[in-house]
Amino acid sequence: MSTMEERIRDAAREYLEQEKVTCVIGYERSARGVVRPAFIYEADDVERLIWGEDCNLDLVTYLHNFKHPPGRGVPIPKVAVVVRPCDARALNLLLYEQQIQRENVKVIGLTCAGTTIRGEPRTACQFCSERVPVVYDVLIEADGEIDVPAVQDEYADVQEMDDWTPAERLSYWAREFDRCIRCYACRQACPGCYCYECVAEQVEPHWSSIALELPEKHFFHVMRAFHLAGRCVECDACEAVCPMDIPLSKLNRKLAKEVEALFGYRTGDDPETAPPLATFDPQEQLRM
Amino acid sequence: MKKLTQEQLNGWLDSLAQEQTLIAPVNLEDKLLYREVSGSQGIAWGFEQTDMSPKTWLFPATEPILKIVQGETVAVEPVDAPAPKVVFGVRPCDARGALAIDALFLDKDPMDGQYARHREATTLIGLACPQMWESCFCTVLGGAPNSTEGLDILLTEVDGGYAIQAVSEKGKALAAGMPGDDEDLTLPEPVLKEGLPALRSTDEWKEKFGEQFWSRVSDRCLGCRACTFVCPTCRCFDVRDEVVKRRPGEQVFERLRAWDACTVSAYRRIAGGHNPRPTQHMRLRNRFYCKFMYYPEDFNALGCVGCGRCIDACPVGIDILEVVAAVDEMVT
Amino acid sequence: MTSEERFEPKIVGFLCNWCSYAGADLAGTSRASYPQNLRIIRVPCSGRVDPLFVLKAFQDGADGVMVLGCHPGDCHYQQGNYFAQRRYALMHRLLEFTGLEADRLFVEWVSASEGKKFADVTTAFTDKIRELGPSPLKREQEVLEQARQEVMA
Repeated sequence: MSTMEERIRDAAREYLEQEKVTCVIGYERSARGVVRPAFIYEADDVERLIWGEDCNLDLVTYLHNFKHPPGRGVPIPKVAVVVRPCDARALNLLLYEQQIQRENVKVIGLTCAGTTIRGEPRTACQFCSERVPVVYDVLIEADGEIDVPAVQDEYADVQEMDDWTPAERLSYWAREFDRCIRCYACRQACPGCYCYECVAEQVEPHWSSIALELPEKHFFHVMRAFHLAGRCVECDACEAVCPMDIPLSKLNRKLAKEVEALFGYRTGDDPETAPPLATFDPQEQLRM
Repeated sequence: MKKLTQEQLNGWLDSLAQEQTLIAPVNLEDKLLYREVSGSQGIAWGFEQTDMSPKTWLFPATEPILKIVQGETVAVEPVDAPAPKVVFGVRPCDARGALAIDALFLDKDPMDGQYARHREATTLIGLACPQMWESCFCTVLGGAPNSTEGLDILLTEVDGGYAIQAVSEKGKALAAGMPGDDEDLTLPEPVLKEGLPALRSTDEWKEKFGEQFWSRVSDRCLGCRACTFVCPTCRCFDVRDEVVKRRPGEQVFERLRAWDACTVSAYRRIAGGHNPRPTQHMRLRNRFYCKFMYYPEDFNALGCVGCGRCIDACPVGIDILEVVAAVDEMVT
Repeated sequence: MTSEERFEPKIVGFLCNWCSYAGADLAGTSRASYPQNLRIIRVPCSGRVDPLFVLKAFQDGADGVMVLGCHPGDCHYQQGNYFAQRRYALMHRLLEFTGLEADRLFVEWVSASEGKKFADVTTAFTDKIRELGPSPLKREQEVLEQARQEVMA
């Protein structure tokens, strides 16, 4: 019985040999042992592809690099992408928002028991009970049974913070945002952040000072979290890429918790349902 | 050479912190950053490499360079001169990084006045590395874990304490106030790494500009600014005039400069929308070429000191040493 | 405490042109007075109020922010206030989560005929903010330094 890794390579090899895609986006390991995204253009190169529990980046974000025609009259390239269940929902988000067309993507879906960052289970993975991606062209299942950890309350860490006073929360975030260097890795890694010009960088209108100081950093993170309200798939890529280890996904997951409570919605379950902020219900009455 | 015990050093740093702003590596939620300390007990002793370089203390991440008051007339006011400060625990690579920034801001006309004032007001006390750390490769760029280049004072760990080398005039003046006894000391040789690649010449880099390697390595670049901001030599910045306050009949603006990075798509976009480096491939290639070809050719200094922070900071595993090795191989 | 020493909050209000702004006008013509702390920004519709406006208002020194719009079903543009309702339900919770007291953002429906209501809610909100004090975001740097010192100790 071949391993997941071998089956990922087989799927990639087939797509490339049959010229169904120009590129397969997956994971590889550098000489230092660091997991990083891999872009495979030749069938001979598929041996670079790996899969392990430290594969913790959302590769769907790279689809934004392949969504425009590379030249006049040149069609949009077809690519294959390796996705975990959370990434698959990001794909549905991008399909809903018409950023990509389904026929241009081959989805290599993986069943997933959670991934780690720096040896620890990632925040989102600790609260996730999703095992199978909601969309895939080929499904690569785990070798053997997946040990499903008992997930108590999906938003336990957010709930804990909800019970603090506002002053305690401000103190917490002030310390976390203090380390922020406004590198924008979180924004760049997020599949939902693809604005051509981010409000954080706009000159006209001038939303935010360019200063790398606490008020600006607070503003950026709160604003980015809000722009993802109802759109975030909780893939935790933002937290995985932060060079200063800021627990960013807490902000997004707070909103995801509220979205689920208010609207019974989870992002990306299918490519047709509108996210809650893109629609409305004339009958509802909400505490604002 | 003078030798200080840890206790003597702590005492000296404590009294120094009373007289001047003292900056040193501090542990903030497990990240090592150079911040102001009130004394020796705030310092993250025993660190290997910090997560950010001390660059921000010479070239602040954000600083006003002018004040403009617009009322009935327009008045331009200079900003306050920086207060004197001491940065303790500077690694030799970071000191060479400061020299690299000097090559542009000080040695080229016109001089950057604000930077010059920071440089003048700051004393750098170095701490030699007993070995090269995991991501380090300073020797590839002509540096060494115990180099005194660019430092005012260098401390080297020896049995029972630290050996003090006063390097510059500023350093000698400050070291004169240090306690400790003169001893006959042999400084330990740092442990170097083997098997590192060779840095190729600027001509050889020029030859390899068109290689497909560059687009392959940049495929995974996210276009964030992490590598640039952790780097001790990167010095690109953005400038904006921003409103500070309004007073009756007046508006006060600040001309602010803040760090920026050539890896970002908007960096090189000009009025009208044209972008000379429209793809991530061109932008990432530019970053490496700036460090290893353009900067040496234009300013006679390397744009990289081998500190390895970008390797650790890059979320997608882009490895500058791997790039240097790849060029080395391409040329051989 | 004299009026010179008393804290006077800066309140920013985003009022939709067709209902709440007209309501504010009516308060004026009816001589229903309300505190001068309010800085009104007229927008076409409450649905136009981008959460960025609210965030920026707080960032630039507002102690409290109001967003007033037409009653659900009465929006001049049919749907704008439905979007606003959802948006502000979520924004409120996010602002609370990041350290701002819930009461500093106030969203309400005020129609063009509700001049008295406008004066009443504005007065009540201003009093509430006066009680709460200056926005904690203005002191975030202080809060940071205190938090760090507590950790060091």
